[in-house]
Amino acid sequence: MAKLSLMFEEKTVKEVPVGSRPVSIGRSPDNDLPVDNLAVSNYHARVYFEGGRLVVEDLDSLNGTFVNDLRVERATLHDGDSIWIGKHHIKVDASGDAPVPWDTGRKASAPRINETMVLDTKARREMLQQAAATGERVQFAAGRLKVPTLVVIGGRTDQKEYMLTNKLTVIGKSAMATVKVKGWFKPAMAAQINQRDDGYYIGPGDKMPLVNGAAITGPVRLNDGDVIEVSGVRMNFVYRE
Amino acid sequence: MRIVSGGVTDLGRVRTNNEDCFRIVESLNLFVLADGMGGEAHGEVASAMAVETVVKSCIEMGNDAGATLIGASEPTWSEKAKRLTSAVHLANRNIYNAAEANPDQHGMGATLTAAWIDGARLSIAHVGDSRAYLLRSGNLQQLTRDHSLVAEQVRRGILTAAEAEESEMQSVLLRALGALPDIEVDTDEHILFARDILMLCCDGLTRMVTEPEIAGTLQAETDPTRAAEKLIALANERGGVDNITVIVVRVGAESKGWFSWLFGGRKKAARNGAAGGS
Repeated sequence: MAKLSLMFEEKTVKEVPVGSRPVSIGRSPDNDLPVDNLAVSNYHARVYFEGGRLVVEDLDSLNGTFVNDLRVERATLHDGDSIWIGKHHIKVDASGDAPVPWDTGRKASAPRINETMVLDTKARREMLQQAAATGERVQFAAGRLKVPTLVVIGGRTDQKEYMLTNKLTVIGKSAMATVKVKGWFKPAMAAQINQRDDGYYIGPGDKMPLVNGAAITGPVRLNDGDVIEVSGVRMNFVYRE
Repeated sequence: MRIVSGGVTDLGRVRTNNEDCFRIVESLNLFVLADGMGGEAHGEVASAMAVETVVKSCIEMGNDAGATLIGASEPTWSEKAKRLTSAVHLANRNIYNAAEANPDQHGMGATLTAAWIDGARLSIAHVGDSRAYLLRSGNLQQLTRDHSLVAEQVRRGILTAAEAEESEMQSVLLRALGALPDIEVDTDEHILFARDILMLCCDGLTRMVTEPEIAGTLQAETDPTRAAEKLIALANERGGVDNITVIVVRVGAESKGWFSWLFGGRKKAARNGAAGGS
């Protein structure tokens, strides 16, 4: 039979089995698992079996119910999961029962989330900030911030170099283009370079640009040192420190 | 710039209420879209409040050059971008305060994506996982970054894009209006070119329809409202698991004919030149 253990720090406060009746959790003493903490709502959450799955449901609590760090309104529980309610957590022991697996085809690693929700507590924000810091360290481990730059090596343009600081860069004759191409019969927008999460992509405008001498057919990711040719202008794409 | 736009919202095939909301203010070239969340009917309350606050705030500030701006802004931003960003901060406060004041509505929130076009300049303010796309010369570019857990995991290389599409965590947002008293708003500015197509949509579209399909539909259907309807029909064919809202904005070519030159073409050209002068 499945079992819930209410824990405070590493101490077990109470254990209850989950049977055919839902287990109620909350600050009010008439709950099956009373949790004596002001951060916990009177009737905070409940745990029950549904179609062979063990389910936790938040009862519109003020501070939320978390399964393994994710705020949930309703989630399927798995053996070893932890339900966090305020400073207490409830260990889920589903090892003793063998219900018919309702969701064999599903990935069982994550709680199922039905409704859109926001991670909003301080702890989750800190977790994300940590993740962000780690991500940035990895990304820039090789050195300082690198700025993508276009260096003009042939043709007439209004500058010799362009730092790509915007998400969208246009190469063309237009007065609003970033790289302004000079001369007669040049297209207003010859080509475009767009920033995406994984780098800079060159795409066609009114012309199909060449990258390292080969015509592109769609957006192409630019690598450090690539040579771009469009509308009589040749440029070197480099990452500058 | 000549602007033509259209927007459509649809219940989808699964949900029983529409928590999306959008507004097009043609006189201002202002486009606002929000996707609400929170049980009962509260998602609808939040998204409507988000859209109404942004629209009202932009209109009011438009008449008041000395209007107080809320939240951080960059000195490089245009006046419109500052106002739009401030309006989004205000919408966040309104939703947050309403949810605090009314226990029933606790936990309600909304995504918001707003675009304001002034001459050739496009200002975008954004919070959540609704999106703005720009289709330029057949190339579809997402202008906004999703503030969702899976998108962040993809950016950090924890998940691949394909895994993210399969993930059951797609609904977990890192930022939304109404969740916290203060919020970070993503603001960006771009220069528009003739024949650009801007599209704002909620995740009910992007979870059902691929980017190549979006690009194809926007190119094939020149009427903005019909393009939005076609995209929604496609999302519904795939199951329509969520509400679907799409706004399509087409930027027309600057007319250079004799008549337009005679009837104000020069004035128009001067205004566009000023807007693009950065």
